[in-house]
Amino acid sequence: MSSETGTGTEAAATGGSASSSLTLESVRAITKKDFQDSIRSWLFWGLSVFFFTLMAVLAGFIAWAEPEELTTLGFISLISQVCKLVIPLIALVLGWKSIAGERETGSIKVLLSLPHSRKDVLVGKLLGRTAVLSLSLGIGFVIGMLAVAFAVAEFSFPAYVAFLAMTILYGLAYMSIAVSLSSVTRSTTMAGAAMFGVFVLFYIVWNSIQSALGLLMRRGYIDGVSYTGTTLTGQQQEMTRLPDWALFIDMIDPGNAYQNTITLFSGLSGENIGTTFNEAAFPNGLPFYLQDWFSLVILLFWIVVPIAVALYLFDRGDI
Amino acid sequence: MPAITVDNLTKSFGQTLALDDLSFQVEEGEVFGFLGPNGAGKSTTINIVLDFARPTTGDVSVLGMDAQRHSRAIRHRTGVLPEGVDLYDRLTARQHLEFAIESKNADTDPERLLERVGLVDAIDKKAGGYSKGMAQRLMLAMALVGDPDLLILDEPSTGLDPNGAREMRQIVREENERGATVFFSSHIMEQVEAVCDRVGILRDGEMVAVDSVEGLRDSVEGGTTLRVTVDRIDDDALQAVRSLPDVGDATVEDRTPPTIVVTVDGSKTAVLSTLEDRGIEVRDFSTTEASLDDVFQSYTTDAEVHAR
Repeated sequence: MSSETGTGTEAAATGGSASSSLTLESVRAITKKDFQDSIRSWLFWGLSVFFFTLMAVLAGFIAWAEPEELTTLGFISLISQVCKLVIPLIALVLGWKSIAGERETGSIKVLLSLPHSRKDVLVGKLLGRTAVLSLSLGIGFVIGMLAVAFAVAEFSFPAYVAFLAMTILYGLAYMSIAVSLSSVTRSTTMAGAAMFGVFVLFYIVWNSIQSALGLLMRRGYIDGVSYTGTTLTGQQQEMTRLPDWALFIDMIDPGNAYQNTITLFSGLSGENIGTTFNEAAFPNGLPFYLQDWFSLVILLFWIVVPIAVALYLFDRGDI
Repeated sequence: MPAITVDNLTKSFGQTLALDDLSFQVEEGEVFGFLGPNGAGKSTTINIVLDFARPTTGDVSVLGMDAQRHSRAIRHRTGVLPEGVDLYDRLTARQHLEFAIESKNADTDPERLLERVGLVDAIDKKAGGYSKGMAQRLMLAMALVGDPDLLILDEPSTGLDPNGAREMRQIVREENERGATVFFSSHIMEQVEAVCDRVGILRDGEMVAVDSVEGLRDSVEGGTTLRVTVDRIDDDALQAVRSLPDVGDATVEDRTPPTIVVTVDGSKTAVLSTLEDRGIEVRDFSTTEASLDDVFQSYTTDAEVHAR
């Protein structure tokens, strides 16, 4: 049987791509279709309206209160509070059924009957849904800007746009988690449970870890780090903080990583707001993994690792 | 070069054996009917041909390429109508087709395709509002995108009314005349009978017969059933009829006057003369051909064929 010679010419005719590889055209076609499809989801628009409302209320509040000397970064920091909580919700809801739903209805066979690899499908879905999420973010950020006209002193538009880009990265990280979990579960019920698990993990469990570790430190189970700090009244005082590794655990949460990157925009807005961790608490210098730029690495980790694992697993086994 | 070659293909899901050492070939340019009851393994076979599922052992090659390693190139030249799948509710027929056209890098006009399958009126309606038959028509149109060399149609008549099923068969014929090989799965014999050059019958993951429709009909024992009404019957005469070389089976329907039902492959007169030789008076008799449905039944169930 002349399958070897036959495949040579065929492979050349279709761009020489192996069956499990990624191709740009396929990813683009799937991204476009998925964007068209999921942008018509009522649930997505419902959540988006919730997000828009929060942004409008926040902008309205800032405009009404007219806080003294609200800087661009101060404004961004307020907005990031809203985004940190709402974006995971939209991303998880939007990504929930991305693959599991198509498996359940069988429409994944429509996708895979066409010359797309399974990897194309995963990446296309991730990008398509992130694009939909980004649209919602863009609208929300325009609404948020209303406050700028009234309250923000020396508004830095570049810093705001860069922050929007960072927020999209944060959305991409949660979308990566959502699409990946959707691809490894066999039903939308299981996928839904997984989404809820992620929600509980990062909204509730992760925040408790710090309190728990703090408690353990005060009870003497964990050795804290002592340093001389300045209290609010300006007095020098001996203080104790959690050890580096415990602080790092807190940084792993995508939401915390996202917020910690805000200081990176100080260059763009010409402000100097220091770092997330008080440098006085680290007399020997801040370890690299607690520095703010490392939060960007953590955010990239949450984008790359879930989808990479899913790409590996989804390619094996049966649809 | 065969369009599809399945070689010693076995597929198990845990303890369940879905395909058991299956081998068959679909020749280039033919319309091949892949027949079997639900659960026989038709969809599993198609899933492996399209690399949706991976074989436990065995090889499958399509258009001369390995089904796993070169699946993308295969699917580039193949049109597929999958079974029992939903479309994208929020997208229109046009958007579905544009996606397929873009995916295959084809140069096809969505409107002309929908005209062919009789769905052009619904071109800008969302698929969520389609009936089962309309969805099936759209899926057939998607399968036709880019004039594929191989068409794989899994239960294409699902949801179609008799008129729609006839139109679908007409399209299969047209595609075949264009030069496409058609692999057509169904659990209903009469749907494949009209269009297929050859039929393969799958049962419990094994191919029990591959032949032309005529060949299958001939191969089934008891192609004809003879019903003889007699004045009386005894065991002796019944045994004598049963022992005739061309007779498959003989039973007595209990009524007055009694009727003997005989499945016979050759001479019917031998049955009648055997009865008369034993002094039994033949009052009436009739014959019936086995229908294709009976042929299918005989291959897919343990029941014997009895023409009606």
